[in-house]
Amino acid sequence: MDALRAFLRHPSGMAGLVLLTIVLIVAITAPVVFPVSPWEMNGTPFAPPGEDGMWLGGDTLGRDVAAGVAHGARVSLLIGIASAFAAMMIGVVIGAISGYFGGKVDLVLMRVTEMFQTVPAFILAILLVATFSPSLLTIILTIGAVSWPPLARLTRAEFLRLRGREFVEAALCQGEGTARIVLGHILPNAISPILVVVSLTVATAILLESALSFMGLGDPNLMSWGFMIGAGRTVIRQAWWMSVFPGLAILITVLAINLFGEGLSDVLNPRVSRRRA
Amino acid sequence: MNRREFTAAMLAAGAAIPLGITRAAGQTKGGTLNTIIQPEPPVLVTAFNQQQPTLTLGGKIYESLLKYGADLKPMPGMAQSWEISPDGLTYTFKLFPGITFHDGKPMTSEDVVFSCMKVLTETHPRARQNFARVASAEAPDPLTVVFKLKQPFAPFLGCFDCTSAPIVPKHIYEGTEFRKNPMNDKAIGTGPFKLKEWVRGSHVHLVRHDGYYRKDEPYLDEIIYRIIPDGASRALALENGTVQLVQWSDVEFFDVQRFKSQKNLEFTTKGYEYFAPHQWLEMNNRVAPMNDKRFRQAIMHLIDRDAMNKRIYFGNAKVATGPISSKTRFYDGKVKRYEFSIEKATALLDEMGLKPGANGKRTELKYLVPPYGEVYQRAGEFFRQSFSKAGIDLVLVGTDMAGWAEKVGNWDYEMTQNLLYQLGDPALGVARTYISSNIKKGILFSNTQGYSNPEVDRLFEEAALALDEAKRQELYSKVQQILVEDVPVAWTLELEYPIIYDKAFKNIVTSGIGSHETFGSVYKS
Amino acid sequence: MTGTRSAARIALLIVTWAMRLVAVILVIATFNFVLVRAAPGDPAMVMAGQSGGADPKILDDLRKEYGLDKPYLVQLATHLGRVLTLDLGYSYRQRRPVLDLILERLPATLLLTLTAFCLALLIGTTLGALAGLAAGSIVDTLFTVLSLLLYATPVFWLGLMLVLVFSVTLGWLPPFGYETINAKMTAIERVFDIAKHMIMPVMSLAAIYLAIYARLMRSSIIEVSHQDFIKTARAKGLAPARIVVGHMLRNALVPVVTVAGMQAGALVGGAVVIETVFAWPGLGRLTFEAVLQRDYPVLLGIFLILSIIVIALNLVTDLIYRLIDPRMTTEAA
Repeated sequence: MDALRAFLRHPSGMAGLVLLTIVLIVAITAPVVFPVSPWEMNGTPFAPPGEDGMWLGGDTLGRDVAAGVAHGARVSLLIGIASAFAAMMIGVVIGAISGYFGGKVDLVLMRVTEMFQTVPAFILAILLVATFSPSLLTIILTIGAVSWPPLARLTRAEFLRLRGREFVEAALCQGEGTARIVLGHILPNAISPILVVVSLTVATAILLESALSFMGLGDPNLMSWGFMIGAGRTVIRQAWWMSVFPGLAILITVLAINLFGEGLSDVLNPRVSRRRA
Repeated sequence: MNRREFTAAMLAAGAAIPLGITRAAGQTKGGTLNTIIQPEPPVLVTAFNQQQPTLTLGGKIYESLLKYGADLKPMPGMAQSWEISPDGLTYTFKLFPGITFHDGKPMTSEDVVFSCMKVLTETHPRARQNFARVASAEAPDPLTVVFKLKQPFAPFLGCFDCTSAPIVPKHIYEGTEFRKNPMNDKAIGTGPFKLKEWVRGSHVHLVRHDGYYRKDEPYLDEIIYRIIPDGASRALALENGTVQLVQWSDVEFFDVQRFKSQKNLEFTTKGYEYFAPHQWLEMNNRVAPMNDKRFRQAIMHLIDRDAMNKRIYFGNAKVATGPISSKTRFYDGKVKRYEFSIEKATALLDEMGLKPGANGKRTELKYLVPPYGEVYQRAGEFFRQSFSKAGIDLVLVGTDMAGWAEKVGNWDYEMTQNLLYQLGDPALGVARTYISSNIKKGILFSNTQGYSNPEVDRLFEEAALALDEAKRQELYSKVQQILVEDVPVAWTLELEYPIIYDKAFKNIVTSGIGSHETFGSVYKS
Repeated sequence: MTGTRSAARIALLIVTWAMRLVAVILVIATFNFVLVRAAPGDPAMVMAGQSGGADPKILDDLRKEYGLDKPYLVQLATHLGRVLTLDLGYSYRQRRPVLDLILERLPATLLLTLTAFCLALLIGTTLGALAGLAAGSIVDTLFTVLSLLLYATPVFWLGLMLVLVFSVTLGWLPPFGYETINAKMTAIERVFDIAKHMIMPVMSLAAIYLAIYARLMRSSIIEVSHQDFIKTARAKGLAPARIVVGHMLRNALVPVVTVAGMQAGALVGGAVVIETVFAWPGLGRLTFEAVLQRDYPVLLGIFLILSIIVIALNLVTDLIYRLIDPRMTTEAA
């Protein structure tokens, strides 16, 4: 409750929350405000913003850019959240095992984590998506597969910290099983910093997905912001609006998530908040 | 005048045939032509690769016996004259004297026989089909080649352009593994230009072949093919004069418009008559519901070809009416028409029992997007939207070039888009898509959709063997009517690619082969 | 801190780095091996990727060459051996050895990446230090807003926006490519021409990381300025400029350099996208083409080489780390 009150008084965090709410509203109301599919080619090709009833202009096939941006919000948020969730599953499990058991297990898992952090994540993502064919599922799993290391590191650090605490010692003395200790005692205390990093991972996931779609490795049946920018690249001279508006949408969404996440971090972990990579 | 008088006059003049070719005065020799090749060809030897970039570039290096005018009639290439026996079985070609390869060795009839019967039959699928009709090929003297056919084949004279029968040196390739021959990198041919240097990723540099057999040709000193992978950069290069010629899909369709009005550039859609690229939505006839004629007809009704032309090709095409292009011989427009009508389409679907389910969906099909550029992606999106109106869900599947070729060649697809050359005569470029004997697994540009109709087979075979033009027209008209009724594939557009070049250069387009020509008569004024 | 001791320490650093390099190469090579076999389809087809459906003869040759009929471990051993002798395979699509293709494009990518990395680090830390020293002022707030915006910007979109403004609208800079084609220039002219073409790609790539380093530097400076030894230095009466340069910077740089090392992978990834936007003829461009053609030997080779570049950048940051604060090393060790 204190945390909530503190958050409400945090200017940039609140700004982030407001922006995020706007994005969510756009995403949720898209089918209502833009009932026609963004793939429909009803308008004039290359229509500038305002013409033909299309507020943000039309693309090379006469599709409504505004509809694309609105529906694209659903796609980007869906992929962002699902990928971050996937990264969380992988990262938290690895980090928990590493931090709890320590020793050789920790050493091996940390080397693995280091390896993943060494290789360029985007290239690995390209490789994986190209190998297993671009689709919604492969993209979510791929982004999850390259984004988990920071979560693993954080979880491990938290587990190491909490493992030595008295209540854990007490639980061990009472003969409680590993699962019970981890899930019942350690995890609830570690959850807040983990959630902060997860929310920030949503932002990086959205950026990663847009880059993949831009390169043509997105799901061809989904109208995402990255796809729109990619489609507008070759015609930037004739139709600047195709690239500008979807990009602004990404910028605003990622900014909102970052501000919100940082605000959350400030409020929940005032100690470590300043030192964020 | 007949062929004899014609070529005698040409020999006497020592210059090019009066078919829109301007005669160059002596002092206009010299100059460099910068142009584009897109995408970068894997190899320059046209005998081994028949994709457009190789053919465009290779046409300067490798020549064949004949060329074809805009009216698709044969003109002398390396053969100065030819004779066909009355029974249509013997073809005798007389070569020009003094033809040499780029390494200085002379070209003779032995090289022609070797190339056609030994090399091309192994490496060139189209040539293989053509020369399979030959019973024997002989070289009675160094300047004479005689082909004896098993059966009469009227279009045989159409098999000898630089893209169908390029001549390679026997003294280099005899007894070797053709594709792995180290001399492939040097690309030795008889054309007016020889390969000086190929800097991968940058450019291909061709220079004049001084021993070229045609008097005064070539006029240009050199041709440089620049490799610019980015579409916008290519358009920019043409605009600011960095390159002086573009062809085929070098410049995107939506960009083509603005070059029409650029003062220093000439714009034409001539030069593609021999190829007449014909495009269609291909449906795998083996897969339900595409095995039912009514479904295929419904698809024809669902594609608004005019809208497709306007939105995706920006008017650079003509609506196709059937299997034969309006630019190819024996075209007949008197066939069934499928106007754009969602009602007619849904009526057909209902009739065949493909009713919409609870959510309005009748069926779902996978569409393989050919990875040759954005235009194909847009076309796929266009089809998806069009078909959704009748409850047909199209799922777009992306792939790479090898993957597409493999899937389509091996019939592992449901729908895709395909583009084939017509090659001037239905027997050469059209029949291959519809006859049962060309249902060959693993081979691209064959009858991949698996359509089989004995009547169509019979008509195509008869028309190929008939020598009388009127008879051939009658047969081809019949086959067009049957095919348009059966709809083995949904024909969409006859693409009209541009050739855009700097006005300073003359004789860029002198035949129906256009940009694949030798460019020996091109000069800079 | 005697001379020999620091020299020995550097030597140890390089040796451990080299061992790490070999370990990473082996791991990635193994991963590549597994990936090709995990991919849907016949591994020979996957690697041949020829258009027109692969020639059965070539497929057979490939199978023999890669020993696809032998047991997995034998295949893996052969593969690893090849990689360690720098044999990265053959691209059938481009008909050249993969290593040749990569070496050809490597210089352009190194030019782009290293320039961006250095600029981001230098400018970022400078701006961050200034903002940190002016903490709380309007300049500082402006700085924070700007860096937050940059951090949220997709790198490829930033590149496109720069093209839109500086090329399409203002016409100041060339939109694409490495240099002007067809122009015959002297060496000096060529250098300037390439530099002109480099401005936007480098700016787009550097901007994001610049924002990260600047923000980090700022908070680092603020934190350091409150620490005890700074107060001691002040008490000793050392001139303010000396304090800043001598103590604060060195200590504040430590986390920034560490993060720069960790971000090297992302920077290299960003270069790939930027090269696609600007048609820059480097490895990124090659990646894009290889993806279109599903040219696996090339993709895997690029993955390996780029990872090596990342590790090399890590070595650079490690050395800088040691350079700026040898005292920290003793504590850590």
